Amino acid sequence: MRGDRIGRAGYHLGQAVLVIAFAFPLAWVLSLSLKTGPETLQSPPSLLPESPQWGNYATVLENTPIGRYLVNSLFLVAVSVTGALLVAVPAAYGLSRFVFRGRRTYSRGVLAAQLVSPLIIAVPAYRLFVALGLVDSYVGLVLIYIAMIAPFLTWFLKTYLDTVPRALDEAAMIDGCSRLRTVVSVILPTIRPGLASAAILGGVTTWSQFAVPFILLDTRELFPVSVGVVNLQQTAGEITTQYLAAGSVLAVAPVIVLFVVFQRHIVGALTAGAVKG
Amino acid sequence: MTTSLSAEATSTRPPTRQDRPPGRDRFAHPGRAVWPWLLPLGLLLALVLVYPVVEIVRLSFTDASLVSGEPYRFTLDTYRSLARGTDFQQTLGITFVFVLFSTVFQLLIGFAAALLVHGAERRGLRGTVVTRAVVMAAWAIPGVVIGVIWGLLYQETGSGILNHGLSLLGFSGQAPFLSDPDLALTSVIVANVWRGTAFSMILCYAGLKTIPDDVYEAARIDGARAHQILGRITVPLMLPILTTTLVLVVVETFNTFDMVLALTGGGPGTATQVLALGVYDELFNQLNLGRGAAMAVVLMALNVVMIALYLRLVERQEGVA
Repeated sequence: MRGDRIGRAGYHLGQAVLVIAFAFPLAWVLSLSLKTGPETLQSPPSLLPESPQWGNYATVLENTPIGRYLVNSLFLVAVSVTGALLVAVPAAYGLSRFVFRGRRTYSRGVLAAQLVSPLIIAVPAYRLFVALGLVDSYVGLVLIYIAMIAPFLTWFLKTYLDTVPRALDEAAMIDGCSRLRTVVSVILPTIRPGLASAAILGGVTTWSQFAVPFILLDTRELFPVSVGVVNLQQTAGEITTQYLAAGSVLAVAPVIVLFVVFQRHIVGALTAGAVKG
Repeated sequence: MTTSLSAEATSTRPPTRQDRPPGRDRFAHPGRAVWPWLLPLGLLLALVLVYPVVEIVRLSFTDASLVSGEPYRFTLDTYRSLARGTDFQQTLGITFVFVLFSTVFQLLIGFAAALLVHGAERRGLRGTVVTRAVVMAAWAIPGVVIGVIWGLLYQETGSGILNHGLSLLGFSGQAPFLSDPDLALTSVIVANVWRGTAFSMILCYAGLKTIPDDVYEAARIDGARAHQILGRITVPLMLPILTTTLVLVVVETFNTFDMVLALTGGGPGTATQVLALGVYDELFNQLNLGRGAAMAVVLMALNVVMIALYLRLVERQEGVA
């Protein structure tokens, strides 16, 4: 029993260390974002702001386009995730339900596509878009986003569909449903939790994209929040620490909220996609 | 997984109508009916992924500049200049150190964290949900924002929090985290480990969940100690997942540059210029499309090796499962 108690203490201690190591940087930035200018320069620094300056957030939202960047990111995420699901669901269904020539090649292509570097895509795309006049357009950007997240979503949904018995499809089709009708009105409702996980993961990935929008967008008003934050940082002469910190908090808040609320779905999604293969 | 790739590979003869009942036949062998399901994704990937890959290989053999429309000619000079250039060798060296240490520590800490959360959960201890959420949140933050956040932590003046922490521990409290070339690379690696650990943890945690409790139970009844269980049962059973994780983390680390860009911009000098950031710099600051493309091809070659490994691992797992 004594050993067990030491064991439990060890687990608690270990978890405490982890939580501090991972929460501290975020907590520090949050604290900085609520300090006054002189407080951020104070040496040695105080852990907490003397009186929280919530006004810093108002200042950042008023004087920088960060609000605009957030809206842009939300829009890009919504469109890209929808688009990616529109191509990933049929492909996942095909891979899960049919045996066909070229299946091995197709699945290898989908798996390999997950690992292509965004930088490698972005450069030729930039040249192509210059030629087509698509620089600064969301059309090209969204297409690339979709191509980058769809392979992972396809693979994830395929493994999810593999757990849904085929008898379900067969029953619907014997009842006279076409295959399309079967998928839309029988299969999709069944895999709704899987679709939710896939959407969240695709959303988080899209939110974090940096290389592609950084290279393909020129106009400031179109930047997503990741590129916007670098922009804020590069104009560091004008922007002081507490505002940069507030901007960073604004940039991560939506994802963190999403992540904490839907944690269960996300763990399931990641593990199904990557471990079960 | 019942529809395994290996089973399909061994039977090349398509089953005939006599082999299977007709209803099942319609499912398994749809003829052309399958392609409408697969084509949208297939076309998109061909257009958006295959074209750039072909194009970048082609451009890597030219002296093109990023300013489009200018004529260019084909040459091998790009690769020659890479092979001769000390700057490129330095970049490769930095990349190697960055990838090696980032990967090792992400995997070790991620695995340890997964063991911790999993173990605490099995003992019914509280707090595991919080731990999981906090660690994973780091993974969901955009890389550039992580760079900015760690830039604030690493502030080198007296108001920097990490320096303040060091001074409390009795150090000088003026560590040049980002301005000293040697220390800068360490600082970048630490920030990157912080960023990537969650991913390893999630995969390891899922892997641990697939090991049945009876296995541990049996080992304990046989009198195995904790370290024996870890070394002889957990790690061997986790090996496939650990290797898959390793491959994914290595690819991710080779290709990352957003965090480094925001944290150090590759500096001081080029002390933290990893390969992906080097590609970016060559292309968009030096405007050398040809040479940048050649560097990108080197990066891609590294990726291809990892992709091949990954496919082997996944297909083996599919075959076994």
